[in-house]
Amino acid sequence: MALFKKILIANRGEIAIRITRACRELGIGSVAVFSDADRDSLHVFLADEAYHIGPSPSKESYLNYKKIIEVAKQAGVDAIHPGYGFLSENTVFAKALEEAGITFIGPTVSNIESMGDKLSAKALMKKAGVPTVPGSDGGVETVEQAQAIAEKIGLPVIIKASAGGGGKGMRVVRKMDELESAFRACRSEGQNYFADPTVYIEKFINDPKHIEIQVFGDQHGNHVHLFERECSVQRRHQKIIEECPSPSVPNDVRLRMGDAAVRAAKQINYVGAGTIEFIFDNTTKEFYFMEMNTRLQVEHPITEIVTGFDLVKEQINVAAGRPLSFKQEDIKQKGHAIEARICAEDPITYKPHPGVIRACRHPQGPFMRVDSYAYPGYEVPIFYDPMIAKVITWGDKRDEAIDRMQRALSEFVLTGIKTNIVLHKTILDHPKFRDGSYTTQFIEKNFEVIEPQLFKEVEDPVFLIAAAITAYNDRKSKDVRQLNLTSNWKRVGRKLQLRT
Amino acid sequence: MYFEAELNGKKYKVDVTEQRSTWKVSLQEEGKNWLHYDISKRDFKEAEQYISFLFEGKSYLIDVIGQDTEYTVFTRNSFRTIKVFNDEMLLHESLKKGGNFGADQELKSGMPGKIIEIFAKEGEIVKANKPLLIMEAMKMENEMRATRDVKIKEIKVKQGDSVESGAVLIKFEEP
Repeated sequence: MALFKKILIANRGEIAIRITRACRELGIGSVAVFSDADRDSLHVFLADEAYHIGPSPSKESYLNYKKIIEVAKQAGVDAIHPGYGFLSENTVFAKALEEAGITFIGPTVSNIESMGDKLSAKALMKKAGVPTVPGSDGGVETVEQAQAIAEKIGLPVIIKASAGGGGKGMRVVRKMDELESAFRACRSEGQNYFADPTVYIEKFINDPKHIEIQVFGDQHGNHVHLFERECSVQRRHQKIIEECPSPSVPNDVRLRMGDAAVRAAKQINYVGAGTIEFIFDNTTKEFYFMEMNTRLQVEHPITEIVTGFDLVKEQINVAAGRPLSFKQEDIKQKGHAIEARICAEDPITYKPHPGVIRACRHPQGPFMRVDSYAYPGYEVPIFYDPMIAKVITWGDKRDEAIDRMQRALSEFVLTGIKTNIVLHKTILDHPKFRDGSYTTQFIEKNFEVIEPQLFKEVEDPVFLIAAAITAYNDRKSKDVRQLNLTSNWKRVGRKLQLRT
Repeated sequence: MYFEAELNGKKYKVDVTEQRSTWKVSLQEEGKNWLHYDISKRDFKEAEQYISFLFEGKSYLIDVIGQDTEYTVFTRNSFRTIKVFNDEMLLHESLKKGGNFGADQELKSGMPGKIIEIFAKEGEIVKANKPLLIMEAMKMENEMRATRDVKIKEIKVKQGDSVESGAVLIKFEEP
């Protein structure tokens, strides 16, 4: 079966570049799309063809699936890769592609549908024998119901909006008298953010880690896992550092998690790249199914580095109807990989910091990879995610991978906008990160007083001297400019006058 | 050239003298002694957009952004925002401020973004640390809170507005 001739990448930034690279290596043509704000984005420069798809807000461009399909037809592509985010888990889009006769490089519509709703996903997983967190069997309608469930499974519990994500619509309840207000708040957040007030209740794990298993399936009923990634370093419920393998998962548990993930994928006859997310109790070493991401993920490179397989190429392979190019017994974890997400944000407040990148020099060197769309002069727009680069390092042992990341980050020059590189460097040196005992609460518990830790490396005089000399030069050049603005006759006249 | 500088809330006196081959920079943190630094111009080179700066045997790549009275200095993935004034600038700043309250009387947007929700109402008194509005930038919702007890004089934006960095969002008066 032939692979595709030309693929449209319905995404932007580093992931669009990543997919373009896979296409080029496979001899497939690549088509980029871009919004108004992204005309200067690197993904546009690197693709074979590029088409404008609308104004800057993603609703009017990257989420405008009709426009994207129109461009796909115009460019004559035979497949679309959605990357992550935007349309990657959108069934309306996937269905529309089916009708247009264009292959969606991703799971089937029914795969996305069955995993899109957290409650039905949980029920399916129970059926497949995958451990799930004790809690309500479905949506909880009333406060009384919520109280009864909390009493049954014991406090603390967490109330979550069914359609929620990214930390929105979630409340932890540690005392019974907090339950009612938390329940109402979650329902109203669910309604406001996701137009769905359904909430469910789960036991709250005190010492939780976020461990996920990369799975892959093809259209011939083959399913494999490519081991785990630990993604517990999060701020604002968003991952910033991931590693593979997890320093906390014992080998027998690792294998059990992998088996459970493959069972989950088989249960829904999953096709393509997907991730089964588990919440892992670091005290008991028990794991429970949380949700499935039916797409490629930001952190896929660490799995690629440790297993040696190109996941994007494999997605294209499987979407073209070919069988998986590897079997479970071919997949081994070799060494250790770490990924740091470099974001345009203030490292103290975590607030985004868009703007023009002035200087940019990516780190280089052995056993590392940089997936980035940052370059000098590029203006990071306000409309999209603040992540602008990913640094991935490999080491034979975990410590080596961490040291290599420290080295890489100290080489990374990125100025003009604030970035979280300095936060990464601080995290990597933290004893709790070094010994691997960190949990998902690592940042909020350990980085309360963040500023002094972040800025310890450079002494104040260095900054002051640089600013003072620049200010001096600025004042001087202004004076020169002002002199030049007047005519030479005036200048000479003034000089003569001053002499007398 | 004499400057006054402010960094992380600390005030400094700064004197910069340019000589043929050296920068002489003297710094005095408030209440402390003057420190003098001689920096050879050979140790201060412009490379691409940034400066390669050798200081006390250490090498820094420095990028200084800004003008007039505020500079942000980036180096080794760390950064500091420094206010720098000379006599002329000091005078200019004091004229600009004019009134008693200055910038404290406004809530300004620190970055471009979109107003998602406004909690405050005109005429209302908002206690310190209570939320005023939520602004979205780059998929993140940022809650902006009152830094002290204030009375809302005027709300300059409405829900759904896109704002530029530095835009005045809310004007305050003393409660």
